[in-house]
Amino acid sequence: MEYVGEHLLPGILGRTFVALAFAAAVVSVIAYYLAEKQDSTSFKKLGRIAFYAHITGVLGLVLSLFYLLLSHYFEYDYVWKHSSLDLEQRFVFSAFWEGQEGSFILWLFWQAILGGILVFTAKKWENYTMMVFAAVQAFLASMILGVFPGGIRIGSSPFVLMRETADNLGLPWTQIPDYLEKFPAFMDGSGLNPLLQNYWMTIHPPVLFLGFASTLVPFAFAIAALLKGDLKSWVKATLPWAFFSVGILGLGILMGGAWAYEALSFGGFWAWDPVENSSLVPWITMVGGAHLLLVYRNKKSGLGAAFFMNILTFVLILYSTFLTRSGVLGDSSVHAFVDLGLSGQLLIYLLFFTLIAFGLLIWRYKELPKSKTEDDLSSREFWLFIGSLVLLISAFQIIFSTSIPVLNRLFGPEGWIALMEEEMAPPLDAIEHYNSFQLPFAILIALFIAVGQFLRYGKTKAKSFWKNISLSLAISIVVTALFAQLYSFWSNGLYLALLFTGFFAAFSNLYYWLVQGRGKFSFAGSSVAHLGFALLLVGALISNGKQETISQSKVFLSEDLPANENALMEQGDSIALGNYTAVFEGLKQEGNKQFYEVNYFDEPGQSSANFKLEPFLLMSDEMGPTPNPDTRHFWDKDIYTHVTYSSYLEPTTGDGYGKEAEVKLREGDTAIYRSHFVVFDSLKVRAGINDSTGEMERLTLTGVGRVINAMGQEFKISPTYQLEGEILSHEDAYLEEAGFKFRFADIDTETNQVIIKAWTKLDENEKPFIVMKAIVFPMINILWLGSILMVLGSFIAVWQRIKQA
Amino acid sequence: MKKTHIAIIIVIAVAIGAIITTINDASTYVGFAKAQEVPGTKYTVIGYLDKEAAMDYNAKANTFVFTAIDKEGEKSKVFYNQPKPQDFERSEEITMKGFATDSAFVAEEILMKCPSKYNEENQIAGYETYQD
Repeated sequence: MEYVGEHLLPGILGRTFVALAFAAAVVSVIAYYLAEKQDSTSFKKLGRIAFYAHITGVLGLVLSLFYLLLSHYFEYDYVWKHSSLDLEQRFVFSAFWEGQEGSFILWLFWQAILGGILVFTAKKWENYTMMVFAAVQAFLASMILGVFPGGIRIGSSPFVLMRETADNLGLPWTQIPDYLEKFPAFMDGSGLNPLLQNYWMTIHPPVLFLGFASTLVPFAFAIAALLKGDLKSWVKATLPWAFFSVGILGLGILMGGAWAYEALSFGGFWAWDPVENSSLVPWITMVGGAHLLLVYRNKKSGLGAAFFMNILTFVLILYSTFLTRSGVLGDSSVHAFVDLGLSGQLLIYLLFFTLIAFGLLIWRYKELPKSKTEDDLSSREFWLFIGSLVLLISAFQIIFSTSIPVLNRLFGPEGWIALMEEEMAPPLDAIEHYNSFQLPFAILIALFIAVGQFLRYGKTKAKSFWKNISLSLAISIVVTALFAQLYSFWSNGLYLALLFTGFFAAFSNLYYWLVQGRGKFSFAGSSVAHLGFALLLVGALISNGKQETISQSKVFLSEDLPANENALMEQGDSIALGNYTAVFEGLKQEGNKQFYEVNYFDEPGQSSANFKLEPFLLMSDEMGPTPNPDTRHFWDKDIYTHVTYSSYLEPTTGDGYGKEAEVKLREGDTAIYRSHFVVFDSLKVRAGINDSTGEMERLTLTGVGRVINAMGQEFKISPTYQLEGEILSHEDAYLEEAGFKFRFADIDTETNQVIIKAWTKLDENEKPFIVMKAIVFPMINILWLGSILMVLGSFIAVWQRIKQA
Repeated sequence: MKKTHIAIIIVIAVAIGAIITTINDASTYVGFAKAQEVPGTKYTVIGYLDKEAAMDYNAKANTFVFTAIDKEGEKSKVFYNQPKPQDFERSEEITMKGFATDSAFVAEEILMKCPSKYNEENQIAGYETYQD
């Protein structure tokens, strides 16, 4: 059968490029392996050519998918699901990587680019590092193959047509040659999720995936070293890559936090959500791995640990991929990908590299050089090692708690080995759970950062050490006392400790750079990165630990219930929000956004507002109303507000009734509506038959019922439903005393229930209102400043290492 | 014994501590019946909205009451002392963290899962939980 109007060529090209990328990667693995084994330049050449072919395939499939998206070829499933005609051109990138397949491609793309760089820079490491790269790429490319050899599904292709998807295969419309013209559904796609139509979605995923991709380089070097048995010289080549990875992955994670804070209403920048955690954990181990490489380069010790951490980082990236994409997180995270049925394939990918990598490390373990002397307690290497252990255990704690759904699959009542009688659910108070561990770890890390720069490799003289840290110690005690006083930290020992060690780390690194390094650029990298990380900790501590919800409801329900953190604001009324007097002025509709204007005054009765915030609800058919925050930034605090409810969302009838409710009832059933019992006693059916034709002309259904109020008074109601020909009409029942209106809305023929709708007369003087949450985040700018410095410092460090190497 | 060995032993001890704490902190997925056996103890119940029962949100009194049906089919009235989550009617599944009382389940936190299309979200952008 010939289908009309389909554009098959770009799809065929796309699939061909996927096949090329996959096959060339496999060839490259084999060729590079033989090149090393036989020391053959011709195999090396073949390996390179195959990898170039792989890069060509990747670029080709990227362009094919862009072409499909830009041309609006909605016969393609991916295009239909992730874009629409009215999607602005600038969001085509967001549409590209919105879906799982597209984000695999993004990842594939970055690794292809990094692999291409490595071909030219890896020198004697080329054969094995490129072999690892090509192997990882082969696995990744297989995720978008979308083939079914022998009924087994391998990958999910973004180039599949709507009529070819498993959901649609065999449906009657797929047999209609001109289905594209016949069905309006194919004229336009279902569109990009409106939440993702902002610039964060354009810039955040590429950075994050470059971060993921960058962890492959140290992994590839470590595996190459283990394979070759050349266990030492990889360290120097890996160092700049390791710090690049720290910088770029850190940037990606922080951008995610900034996005959540600026544009999503999660009420903060970090929520310990499983998806956030699974990108944070590899970053933590990467930081440890990079520092262990430094230890080995300077002191020739701790090589085993350096191997372990760098391998572990990539394994954790694979594990995170498995967690977020296999659907295993299901109940515990709301923003994991939808399950594409690739979990088996993802598991093989994870286990393959995990087993080979750690297997190799165990195999070579005896050959690793052991240092004969013990590290001195005053040496830098000892404390770098301890610091890495703290990072490792911090990462372990986060990933273990995040893995509860995996534990359920393995050991739950329906699991592989049924050890547990009940399924575990994530901790009830996730933030408290994570903080109880991560806070002490952060204190230790900050302390190590503070003193680390002044410890020497080998041995440190006590006198010069104390001399170097004394000034920053003194300053940080004063500053800590000041902040503790300002933000009342005295009562919480752990918070106070982190505040102090954080400031100490910041000042001592500043001192190291400005005084010891005389502010020279060549000293800047590590100092600025450490200064940034220290400020990040301090900023996170103050802004989160001392956040204050200034919207408090005045309604008191019960002692045990958590205090309500939302304020009801009627239009035009002033209400106290913290030190401000706030007035909800009204609604402003712009496109699909409902802006709620709220003015903030310093004093009640002031003539002009200090500032105005406009949190909005994004209205969309697919997602309903979605709150977006609006934040007022001051140098020392942010006021973050979002609308949690709005009276404009309540459906109202034309005649001034609202508070709609709908119930399905059978004869004899009782429902409760606004403190009244509604009893449905009986159903009266009258049919008007046309005498001459014998056909039914009119059907009248009357629901006879009672409404009983709290005092026990009964009122009879009998709403009526009438079908005359094709014309449906309702005769509603009114209950003046309570202001209710009841409608016999419909009848459910499957369950034999009647559908009754109820409304209440709205008070005409009742003003529109919103329910809003307002949080003050003090000193959050320290957090952002720290983030920027940390990333900047990491890249300066990379640049210095490249210059050294 | 070397200092590094001592450090590693400490690390292993903390790791075991982390495992035990996680298992202790973890709640369990239960049905309403189980939650009612021990009123006041916090549980996580997964269920769905009973669309046949009335749902009432009163913004001024700050009460939201609805009826949920858990996976075992048990119905319970649920109190939620927060604004009604956006698009609550369309939820497919509701995860409620809270405790049972003699008359109703009091949810302190509610997470919703919406029909597949809305959920098919990218890691970073997730719609929605309603998290407070």
